Amino acid sequence: MRWSLAWVALALAAALSGCAPRGDGVAGSSARAPRYFGSVNPPRESVLRFNNGAEPETIDPALASGQPDGRLARSLFEGLTVSDPRTLEPGPGQAARWETSRDGRLWTFHLRPGLRWSDGTPLGASDFVWSWLRALRPETASRNAGLLHAIAGAEAFNRGTATDPASVGLAAPDETTLVVRLARPVPYLLYLAAYPTWLPVPRHVVERWGDAWTRPEHIVSNGAFVLERWRPNDRLVLRRNPRYRDPARVRSERVEAYSIEDLSTATELYESGRLDWNTSGYIPSPFVPYMRRYADFRSAPFQSVYFYSLNVTRPPLDNVWVRRALNAAVDREAIALDLLRGTRQPWGRLTPQGYPGYPAPPALGYDLARAREYLARAGYPGGRGFRKISILFNTSEDNRRIAEAIQAMWTRGLGIPVELQNMEWGATLQATSSLRYDVARRSWIGDYLDPSTFLDIMRGGDGNNRTGWADARYDRLLSAAADEPDPAQRLALLARAEALLLADGPVVPVYHYFSVELVKPYVRGIWSNALDTHPLEDIWIDHGWRRPGPAGEARAHAGRAGARP
Amino acid sequence: MIRYLLRRLLLFVPTLWAIATITFFLVRLAPGGPFNAERAIPEAARAQLARKYGLDRPLAVQYVTFLGRAARLDFGPSYEFPARPVREIIARGVRVSAELGGWALLVALLVGVPLGIVAALRQNRAADTAVMAVALAGVSVPNFVLGPLLVLIFSLGLYWLPPALWEGPQSRILPVLTLSAAYAAYVARLTRAGMLEVLRQDFIRTARAKGLPERLVVLKHALRLGLLPVVSYLGPAAAAVITGSLVVEQVFAIPGLGRYLVNGAFNRDYTLVMGVVLFYACLLLVLNLLVDLAYAWLDPRVELG
Repeated sequence: MRWSLAWVALALAAALSGCAPRGDGVAGSSARAPRYFGSVNPPRESVLRFNNGAEPETIDPALASGQPDGRLARSLFEGLTVSDPRTLEPGPGQAARWETSRDGRLWTFHLRPGLRWSDGTPLGASDFVWSWLRALRPETASRNAGLLHAIAGAEAFNRGTATDPASVGLAAPDETTLVVRLARPVPYLLYLAAYPTWLPVPRHVVERWGDAWTRPEHIVSNGAFVLERWRPNDRLVLRRNPRYRDPARVRSERVEAYSIEDLSTATELYESGRLDWNTSGYIPSPFVPYMRRYADFRSAPFQSVYFYSLNVTRPPLDNVWVRRALNAAVDREAIALDLLRGTRQPWGRLTPQGYPGYPAPPALGYDLARAREYLARAGYPGGRGFRKISILFNTSEDNRRIAEAIQAMWTRGLGIPVELQNMEWGATLQATSSLRYDVARRSWIGDYLDPSTFLDIMRGGDGNNRTGWADARYDRLLSAAADEPDPAQRLALLARAEALLLADGPVVPVYHYFSVELVKPYVRGIWSNALDTHPLEDIWIDHGWRRPGPAGEARAHAGRAGARP
Repeated sequence: MIRYLLRRLLLFVPTLWAIATITFFLVRLAPGGPFNAERAIPEAARAQLARKYGLDRPLAVQYVTFLGRAARLDFGPSYEFPARPVREIIARGVRVSAELGGWALLVALLVGVPLGIVAALRQNRAADTAVMAVALAGVSVPNFVLGPLLVLIFSLGLYWLPPALWEGPQSRILPVLTLSAAYAAYVARLTRAGMLEVLRQDFIRTARAKGLPERLVVLKHALRLGLLPVVSYLGPAAAAVITGSLVVEQVFAIPGLGRYLVNGAFNRDYTLVMGVVLFYACLLLVLNLLVDLAYAWLDPRVELG
């Protein structure tokens, strides 16, 4: 229904665009002035209004898993480090500085003195220890507790095999010193430290209110903002936290995070000037090619990959030559560039682009002649004797079009019978995780800027593997990489693991996602980055954006430099 | 009358029990469970959640516990929104849905009834044809087309009204119009049919013969009976307008109840789905009862008992 709706709106927009007034969307009268999508009048106050997407399930940092939840958790709570909005490089947050041992396994964080929760309660190193142990406790049932497994003893404690908190490598010798012992060297630890699962929570509030501690009337936070109001399925209102460690760093007085699920509605609210920022993923995909003409449309590679997984426990997909044949017969360019009109990037690897220093293995490519050869080698020359396989996807217009294209490629190119099967989301999840499918559409989004956030899911027996594929050599390479103290060596080991994975073919990468968002020209502090992470405290409304003078971005940088510690 | 009312109210109990039972087992038949997600949940965490919500106990025990709680209107916390009890979600959502539905129904009556009367009095003439053509259009254009169309014209074209969100009187206009269109059209058709039938009857001829002015004949004598089909339609319409505002809530980003039912079903949020379904069932039963009472009041030939 969503798509038919989008098409109606698009057709009407096209029909009306010639006669309808578009506000002052075209700033100035010069022919070269940039065109904007809809109104460009900033809100009068210092308030940022953006679409946060689906209604957040929770803002408890230990439980937050979706992007809407995580974005709010990171605005309300601050971890040891914070991410630079441009580079995502970690910088000092609640910790002012840190040291690490030579082998990279012992980290000492020095917290800023005088830290407080928004109710005035002092905050110290023991709060971090308590919060991380809480996230690890099986009773908390955190989905993302695995991100804390880098800490020595954390995995056993999380699984419930060790029950003594002292067995976890955490210590707070005094309230400004936090010592973290790691199970293995983790070069991206400082990135992790800004991730929701690593954020501190107020013990005195959590213990008093239980599950209800995140309600606006109870919640206490330590980040840039405090929660003022939460109207379910409508909006959350955040206000600048006066007890934040550096209130001057926070650029907006207030933030309104709307929970709008309908893509057309979100885009219309943006067009009418009631949203300053329509976050990535909330433009109906048929609109995207038409949006490119507007100066406030932004698109950048985003670390997420769309792929098909093959159930290797079911013949004939247990045959590596069959998997290679299926991989080589997929024309990724036809899908990403023609079918999806260039709104995606053809992609032949499991890991996305943009991991600094990663010597990525060669990507899988389209080679029909070779695909036929592989299939013959598997014992099915020309597809003879190949049983009918089924492509499972969760119901969506784009998924269907892609599945139809791949069905055609395999049927015409290889001569094998392929049928399509669509299911509702929950049923798709159930079918893939219980290995009741042949070929299934999946996608994955990375948590941090490191190839392991993708490669780890293909470990044998991992809950996210969902192909039945297990290879001892692959698992050994990943473990060796995890224990490797030299960062370059480590990335080389990961690249070898990925090469092995691609050669064995349990996954068929299809395309790389782009973030697609709309940002009003008067909004400062949003930079495209691979994680699509935009700390809200760095975003502000530039009321003087039309004034001549230094370019807006330059002004924004100047403003930031002064505010940054 | 009192006995009739009591009997009807007593009948609610088995009806609600049957609905609760069917829904309870139906939601559990759907593939998957409440804690499945794209990102696999660790086994220990899943077991913990199952224990917390009592999903690890035998189904029969779960069923009995659920019935006992439901009788006290307690459905527990939503699985998806652990900080919110289902009862609170329903209370918040229904306030919005009822306001939206109430206005839509009012508009439907205020527009539909006069148009229907006019059409009946001008049967087979230009006014009648025009009203019925508009009504046909109103019934046939689905609200997921009408909504975006109105937004395009009045919000993005003329900049008169906000395109979505539920804040302030202005934001009510487009969703109420969108939701009421089909009902107004249907009410107009029903009113016309009802009036045409009544206007041909003997007592109307008598009234006219007595020399009563036509205005009185129509408004005092004919309308009361002519509206009967509309009244019997009002019960289901009121329920549908509150429950059926799902699309309108989605298109206009309105925090009503309909979105919870659909998302709850998709997320296998058993407690939320059970709560909302039972709430809708109660609503439907009460509205139907009210319709029957109104019927007896409007039509002297109807006797309750």
